[in-house]
Amino acid sequence: MNTAKNKALKQLLWVGMGSIAMFFAGLTSAYIVRKAEGNWVDFILPEWFVYSTIVIVISSLLLIIATQRIKKNKEIFALILSVFLLGGLFTYLQINGWKELTSMGVYLTGAGSNVAGSFLYVLTLSHLVHLAGGLIALFVAAIHVKTKKYNSESFLGLEITAIYWHFLSILWLYLFFFLKYL
Amino acid sequence: MSEHHHKETFITKYIFSQDHKMIAKQFLITGMFMAIIGMLMSAIFRVQLANPGESSILYNLLPGDWINEAGALNPDKYLALVTMHGTILVFWVLTAGLSGTFANFLIPLQIGARDMASGFINMLSYWFFFIATVILISSIYVQGGPASGGWTIYPPLSALPQAIPGSGTGMTLWLISITLFVVGSLLGGLNYIVTILNLRTIGMSMKRLPLTVWALLITAILGVLSFPVLLSCGLLLIFDRSFGTSFYLSDIIINGEMLHNVGGSPILFEHLFWFLGHPEVYIILLPALGIVSEVIAVNSRKPIFGYKAMVGALLLIAFLSFIVWGHHMFMTGMNPFLGSVFTFTTLLIAIPSAVKVFNYLATLWRANIRFTPAMLFAIGTVSAFITGGLTGLILGDSALDINVHDTYFVVGHFHIVMGLSAIYGMFAGVYHWFPKMYGRMMNKNLGYLHFWGTFICAYGVFFPMHFLGLAGLPRRYYTNSAFPMFDGLSDINSIITFFALTGAIIQAIFIFNFIYSLFKGPRATKNPWESTTLEWTTPVERIHGNWPGDLPVVTRWAYDYSKPGASADFIPQDVPLKEGEEEH
Amino acid sequence: MTNTLIILVAILIIAALVQITRVSELLSEIKKQDPNKVTDSNNKTQGILFLVVGGAFLIFVVWQMITWNHLLLPPASSLHGQEIDALMKVSMGLILIVFFALTPLLFYFTYKYRGNKNNKAYFFAHNNKLEVIWTVIPTIILTCLIVYGLRTWERSMNPDLSQAKIIEVYAEQFKWTARESGTDNKLGKANFKLVTDRNALGVDMNDVNSKDDKVIREVHLVVDKPVLLKFRAKDVIHSAFLPHFRVQMNCVPGLSTQFAFTPTQTTAEMKEQEGDDFEFVLLCNKICGAAHYNMQMSFIVETQEEYDAWIASQKVLSEKLLTQK
Repeated sequence: MNTAKNKALKQLLWVGMGSIAMFFAGLTSAYIVRKAEGNWVDFILPEWFVYSTIVIVISSLLLIIATQRIKKNKEIFALILSVFLLGGLFTYLQINGWKELTSMGVYLTGAGSNVAGSFLYVLTLSHLVHLAGGLIALFVAAIHVKTKKYNSESFLGLEITAIYWHFLSILWLYLFFFLKYL
Repeated sequence: MSEHHHKETFITKYIFSQDHKMIAKQFLITGMFMAIIGMLMSAIFRVQLANPGESSILYNLLPGDWINEAGALNPDKYLALVTMHGTILVFWVLTAGLSGTFANFLIPLQIGARDMASGFINMLSYWFFFIATVILISSIYVQGGPASGGWTIYPPLSALPQAIPGSGTGMTLWLISITLFVVGSLLGGLNYIVTILNLRTIGMSMKRLPLTVWALLITAILGVLSFPVLLSCGLLLIFDRSFGTSFYLSDIIINGEMLHNVGGSPILFEHLFWFLGHPEVYIILLPALGIVSEVIAVNSRKPIFGYKAMVGALLLIAFLSFIVWGHHMFMTGMNPFLGSVFTFTTLLIAIPSAVKVFNYLATLWRANIRFTPAMLFAIGTVSAFITGGLTGLILGDSALDINVHDTYFVVGHFHIVMGLSAIYGMFAGVYHWFPKMYGRMMNKNLGYLHFWGTFICAYGVFFPMHFLGLAGLPRRYYTNSAFPMFDGLSDINSIITFFALTGAIIQAIFIFNFIYSLFKGPRATKNPWESTTLEWTTPVERIHGNWPGDLPVVTRWAYDYSKPGASADFIPQDVPLKEGEEEH
Repeated sequence: MTNTLIILVAILIIAALVQITRVSELLSEIKKQDPNKVTDSNNKTQGILFLVVGGAFLIFVVWQMITWNHLLLPPASSLHGQEIDALMKVSMGLILIVFFALTPLLFYFTYKYRGNKNNKAYFFAHNNKLEVIWTVIPTIILTCLIVYGLRTWERSMNPDLSQAKIIEVYAEQFKWTARESGTDNKLGKANFKLVTDRNALGVDMNDVNSKDDKVIREVHLVVDKPVLLKFRAKDVIHSAFLPHFRVQMNCVPGLSTQFAFTPTQTTAEMKEQEGDDFEFVLLCNKICGAAHYNMQMSFIVETQEEYDAWIASQKVLSEKLLTQK
């Protein structure tokens, strides 16, 4: 019974992520349609977003190692903590990216803004909102790791957190390449 | 999934309940409450249409500043009523009220599960919906009134408070409310899908699922894929309204003020909106068709004809619903070739729809029909589906749409095919499953009275609208007296209003029957309709976890009615196959 | 007073409903039967009701078609509109045939197969042959309808524009304004940033094409001459709807849309046919604000001579702007 329930919970997450993916698909297809109509100001994506991409990929890799180690009942608190901190660093880098955008004259809104810039802000902001959920999940998982709630037999909470975090990484990779090359 | 009984307080049992049956009832009651409000709104604007510019006793229900000195309804508040009526009926009644009620109630019971995959998420889903409801209702009383740009909230009208007063605070609240509503629907939808895929009891293969569950599953998938797009569409509108971005706004001068927005496209909004909007039509319709399939089979005492074709038709309709959204936008100046593509995909929907109608007719052929109130409404649905579906062939054809687009012809079409079909389906569901929900029976004779009154009045309201449309009358007109060419139409408007008001009063019979039966109805037996599906194997007491002992084991499909060789005219799904008996 | 009366009536109705319910329950108790068991006599009554009300519904439909026929739009007064009307006739004929076949069948079945406790339903779960037939036949009919519809659509949307007179229609809350392209048949550029009280359409007067443009309060068209309407909007989305010509197109701020057609009847001819108060009108058909219901402009179709006389009497925009200074 318990495994069926676990499977169901994991599937809940998968369907939910499908839903989130549709949300971003909606936004990015609006971006494509809008761009095709012209009156579009191209600009160079700030370097900060490259760094944030590297950071989130590393965080995902660390999380994979952590889930492998918990299966062997090894200590993982340091790993989870660093994933959490990397998540924080990612947020910091994104905010720096926005800072640089404004200094380049690309604004979210106002008389000097262009839809191209507005789209960039909305996409990154929406991603960050979803990331906030991931950070909370990581924080809870870290506490559970510290208090030895997980072992090789039972680590559903960690597994679900990891799936969602990887989803956020992949989502960011998609957005990054979308914004950079499209 | 635990069976041990917690001590339940009033709060955990009736308010923050995680039991799917209680959540279903919460959705039903909220939906009915909103239906009454939505119906009253339509009664009020129908009165304005029949007696334009005159005062009416019904206007006493409205906030004071909606009425001018002469006692007449203000034109922009007429639009507010139309907008709120649409929003409430489409989202609150026919999406949450219908899907929310029956998906929650029927899915675990009909697949043989103790509850939803996550009771907590299910509870959240209701409470998001509840808060959305409170916000939507409160928006009626803000300064400037509620959203008034039509339920489709096309910008720039919905983005600019200067364009219509309702686009101020009212629109902001509308957007917040809809966002919460969508989050609630998504949480519900996730649960329905996962529950159906994972928690079916032993033997309940997908091929043995009742058609209600199939319809609810496909509905949930449609919702999970399309509602997020509405969110992204709304998010961009929120940015345009509140933060001054230009996603949808461009080259606008409003009230003499030149806006800075350049480069936005209102058409982009329409694309995003209708990408949800069209699947939404089927999110409304499919659960009703599922309920109707079940009710018709039970009361015909016959298996539903062409089970596989019915499932196939549902799947095909769901798939097509994602590639037809452009038929709402033929007149936006879209590329004519694109218009052709959308015409093609749209008219294709007629094929699975036709198959469904023929299969219903074949189910009734040589049946032994029991006219329960539920069955009457189910037949009403089929009738409305035929009548309303056919006019879709006119509207889906881009060339014909040129002259009927946004006229009363459209209003007549979708009220019959989507409004009536779905609301009849909802009534059928309530009459049919009331004994399971509350352990009591609804009064049969009042049910008959309710059906015939509703059936007659509803056609009296919506059929004449086609003629208004063919006379060229646009929808959302405060009055048609501004144009001499519409002078002859006032008779039709009076007839429609007469039927609308009568029909609204007749709904009191239903509400009375519902409340009376809740407390005074005769006690229900375990399986009052002699039905085969699993929900009727649960005890009348409606316990947490649904079945007292082990879960039932399913050995046959849901439609063994009047099977040759069997003594009774129905064999429940958990009765093992006899030796040598073929499944069907 | 009236409020009290309404509340009183409501209470009385509720009391009556309670009584009806109680009586019906008591009656079935006396007859020693479950009040909610559907009896054979119930089945009979309801079956007959379906036949009677269903029949009444069909008669109501026919009655509407006869009584209200004269209220419908007259036949199209434009070339492409006549094709649309023909397609409409075919489609409408088809759906009426299906409607008048299926609806009676549904009500007849409900009556004919009403339940009886001595009967048993016929176990009929599926029949591949039947299902194939009623999938294939609608498919074939629909294919024909789609092909016919698409041809009409293509021809309506892609007329020959080389000879078309160009007129701009400008929508705003809550009125229409039009601009004649003048002798050169070219509209001068316009930009919303140039809109002033006097230059209400924001026409760029530095553009040579603007010099002979004329801003007009009603549109005059020459019968049998193609016209290309170009649409712009000032504030929100509007939709230009000319029902008599079977013309409709949204007017979207920031976007230019167009629709071309050829009128085939003059206003005078229509007045003879439809009565003296007939007029071709332009309506707004997209919700645009409080006075959406009252956004109109007349279109007048006339002979070349009448048109020439009228157009000569209209001042060009540049002159208007000068004189008003």
